[in-house]
Amino acid sequence: MSSPFVDERLDNGLRVVVEVMPDVRSAACGFLVRTGSRDEEPELAGVSHFLEHMCFKGTYRRSWREINIEFDEMGSTYNAFTAKDRTFYYGWVRAGDIERQMELLADMMRSAIPPNEFDMEKNVILEEIAMSSDQIENLAYHLLHETCYRGEPMAWPVLGYERTIRELSRDRMHEYFTRRYAPDNMTFIAAGRVEAGRVVEAVRRLTAEWQPSGADRRDGRRAPRFHPASASRPVERFHQELVLMAFEAAPATDEQDEDAEALAAILGGDNSRFYWNIVQAGIAPRATVLREDHQDCGLLVLYGLCEADRIERLADAMRREAEEVTREGVRPQELQRVKNKRRTSLAAEAEAPYYRLVQIMEDVDYYGRPMTIEERLARVDRVTVDSIAAYLRRFPITGPGVLIGVGPRAWPPAESP
Amino acid sequence: MSQLVHRHLDCGVEFAAAVLPGRPTAALEIRILAGSAHEPADKLGLARLIEETVDKGTARRDGRALLDAFDAIGAQRTSGTGRDLTGFSCLVLPEFLLPAIDLHAEMIRTPTFPEEACRVAVELAIQELSSLEDDPQALAGKLITRQAYGRYLGRHPLGERETLATITRADIETHWRATFSAGRMLLCVAGNVDPAAVADHVERAFEGFGSSGSSGREPMPLEFMPARRHVHKELEQEQIGICFPGVPVSSDEHPVERVMLGVLSGGMSGRLFTEVREKQGLVYWVQAWHEHPRGSGMIHLGASTTPERCDRTFETLLREVDRLAEDLTEAEVQRAIAAIVARTETRGDITRAHAAELVADLVHHGRPIPMEERLARIQAVTPADVRAYLAAHPRDRLSVLTLGPRELEKGR
Repeated sequence: MSSPFVDERLDNGLRVVVEVMPDVRSAACGFLVRTGSRDEEPELAGVSHFLEHMCFKGTYRRSWREINIEFDEMGSTYNAFTAKDRTFYYGWVRAGDIERQMELLADMMRSAIPPNEFDMEKNVILEEIAMSSDQIENLAYHLLHETCYRGEPMAWPVLGYERTIRELSRDRMHEYFTRRYAPDNMTFIAAGRVEAGRVVEAVRRLTAEWQPSGADRRDGRRAPRFHPASASRPVERFHQELVLMAFEAAPATDEQDEDAEALAAILGGDNSRFYWNIVQAGIAPRATVLREDHQDCGLLVLYGLCEADRIERLADAMRREAEEVTREGVRPQELQRVKNKRRTSLAAEAEAPYYRLVQIMEDVDYYGRPMTIEERLARVDRVTVDSIAAYLRRFPITGPGVLIGVGPRAWPPAESP
Repeated sequence: MSQLVHRHLDCGVEFAAAVLPGRPTAALEIRILAGSAHEPADKLGLARLIEETVDKGTARRDGRALLDAFDAIGAQRTSGTGRDLTGFSCLVLPEFLLPAIDLHAEMIRTPTFPEEACRVAVELAIQELSSLEDDPQALAGKLITRQAYGRYLGRHPLGERETLATITRADIETHWRATFSAGRMLLCVAGNVDPAAVADHVERAFEGFGSSGSSGREPMPLEFMPARRHVHKELEQEQIGICFPGVPVSSDEHPVERVMLGVLSGGMSGRLFTEVREKQGLVYWVQAWHEHPRGSGMIHLGASTTPERCDRTFETLLREVDRLAEDLTEAEVQRAIAAIVARTETRGDITRAHAAELVADLVHHGRPIPMEERLARIQAVTPADVRAYLAAHPRDRLSVLTLGPRELEKGR
C-alpha cells in the first residue's frame, strides 16, 4: 500500500506533492488554493466561491466552451469546490491524459475572469443560493455558523449572501484573485500511475511565468472564538424539525484528532449509540454525530431530524447519550469495531487515485505534509479507551454548546441554555 | 482486464465474479429481484420494511450482535430498495469475503423480524415520508415517478402513510417468504478472489433457501401515460421534471441512447449545461439521465430555477432535445463516446465499481459483459445511429411535473 511522496517547492513558491500508485491505471491531480470564505472581507462574502465558478469561464487562451470541451474530451471526472478555508480544482483521468489534465487546470488558474461572463455567472450563483435556501440542512448549518462564530469570517456561508453577490464587482474579484491565486499560496497535487519526476517538470514548465504575491493565508487568519448560545429559525413550510448541538472540538491538527473521529463514530455512526438508542427507539429517523475540522478550530455536531412534536424528546435523548459517554467512557469493543471499519475504508482509499488526491490535499493543507495510508492507520491504532476519555476532558460535550433548531416550531425557546 | 466467471448455481442463485489480482479490497453485491413494484397494493412500503428489519435479528443472534459481527470483519455495508430490486452491498478486506457472504446468508435466510423492530421500522418510514416533503428535489422525483411509471413501477419505496399504518410484523414476514428465495437472487463478487471457491461457498450458504426456480423474475410492466401537473409549494425555486420513454438496457439501442444523453448532458460541454446554464444563466442544476427498471427505460430531464425563469428553462430543455435531431455533429458524438469510454476505464480502479457493474449486467442482460465488449458497443455508435434513434423515439408524449410556487404558463 505504501508509496513514497515527492514533495518540492518550485522557485515561484508553488508546492508540488506527488504520490505514485503503481498498481492503478488512472491518475488524479488538482490545484489547492489556500483561500476560502474565511479569508473574505464582510462585503465580499461569497467571492471565493464565485471566483471558483469564474475560473471555468475563460482564460487568456481558452473560452469557457473550450475548457468544458477539453475536460469532456478526456472523459475527466472533474469539478471544484470551495470551503471556509480552501478552494480545490481537480480532474481524474486515464493515466495517459494526466499531462493534458494538468495543463488545462494550470491554464484555468490564470483565469481572465471574463467581464462579459461575470454577470451571467452571477445569475447562476444566485440560483445556487436559492437552491440552498430550500434545504433545511443548509439553513441549519448557516444558523449554526452565524451563531457560534458570530462576528468572525467563519460565520458567513461559503456561497455568500444574495446582497453581497449582487453588489460584487468584477474589479473587486480580480483584486482578490491576484492576491490569493499566487503560486506561493497554492499547492499542486497528483496521485496515481504517474512518473513523479515528469509531473514535477511539467508543473515547473506550466507555471514558469507565475509570480508570487507574498500573501500567506495565515497572515490574516486567527482561530475564531466559539460562542455558546442557542438560536432558532422557524420556517412554516418544513414538516420536520432539525436540531444541531455543537461543541468546541479538536482542530484537524490536534494530536487527538483521531480520538475525536472515533468518538463521533461510536456515538453517532453506523451501529452506534445514537443508532440503537435514538433511531431504533423510534424517536427520530436520523440522528448522527458529525465533525467539522479546520486547521485552528473544530466542532463536534450532534445532529437530529424528527417530527416537530418530538423535538424535546430527541434533544433529551441526544444529551443523555453525550452525558453517558462522558461519564462511563467508551467500551473496548466499540472502539475495536470502529478501527476495523476504518481499516477497510483506508484500503478502499488506497486503490482510488481520486480518494487519495483529496486526502493528500487535506493532509498537506492542515498538517503541512502528506501522510501514507500506513501512517494514518498507525494514528488510528493509537486511539484507546483512555485517550478518548482524555479527549472528552479537554473537549467536553456536556457543557455549554450551541443549540440550533430549524423547522415549523420556534424551537429552542429563547431562554434555553 | 479482469477475468469474468458466471454460473447458475444448483441452489438457484445466479453467481458472477470479476477476478482482479492484487486488489486490496473485495466487493460483494447481492440483488433480490423484488422491490416496491411487487408489493400488494394495500401494503405499499413492505419491500423496504424487509430491507430495514432483515438485520434486526436472526435465528442465531439479535440485531446488535449481527451488526457487531459485520463490524468485527470491518464490513462497510449499504442496502437499498428500488422499484424492482432489493440490494445489499458490502466492501471488505479480501480475507473477509467468505465471512461476509456467510453473514449475509444468515441475515437474508433467517431473519426473525422482532415485533418491536418491525413497529419502529413502520414508524420511521412514516417519519421519512414527512422528511421527503422537506427535500424538494427528492419530492419532485417521487411525484414524477408516480405520474409517469404507472401502477407498479411508479411506487415510491417508502410506501404511503395509509398503507404503512396497516402493516404488521406478520405482513413483513409473509412478504419476505414470498419474495426472498435463492431463485430470485443474484450474487456478484469482485477483487482478488478464487471464483470457484467463492461459488462453492455461495452454493453451500444458500442451499435450500426457498425456491430455486426462476418464478417471479419476470420484469414488471412500465405503464407510461403522458401527463402534466403542477404541485404548489412555497419554495425559493421551482423544480421542473420532464420524462418520456426510452429503451431498456438490454436493447441494441441502449448504447445509442447513452451516447445521445452524453451529447445532451454528459458533462459541462453537454448541450443542456451549455444552453441552459452557461449561455442563459438560468439554473445552477440541470441534467438529463435515464432510469431502468428491468425490461424498460425512461429518459428524464430535470432543472431547478427561480419561479420567474421557469418558463424559459422549460422551453430551453425541450428545444435542446428537439435540436438534437436537427444539428447533431460528428464531433459531439465522438466526444460523448470518448468520455463514456474514459470514465469507464478510470472507474475500473475501484473494485466496488466492478461488482456493481457486474450485478447490473446480470439484472439487465442475464450475463456479465466484458469491458471490451461494453466499450466496443459504445464506440460503434455513429451520428446516423443517434438520428435513427431520435426518429424512432420522438419525444411526442411527455410527463411533466413542476413543484414550487408558480405554474408554467398555459400553452407551453
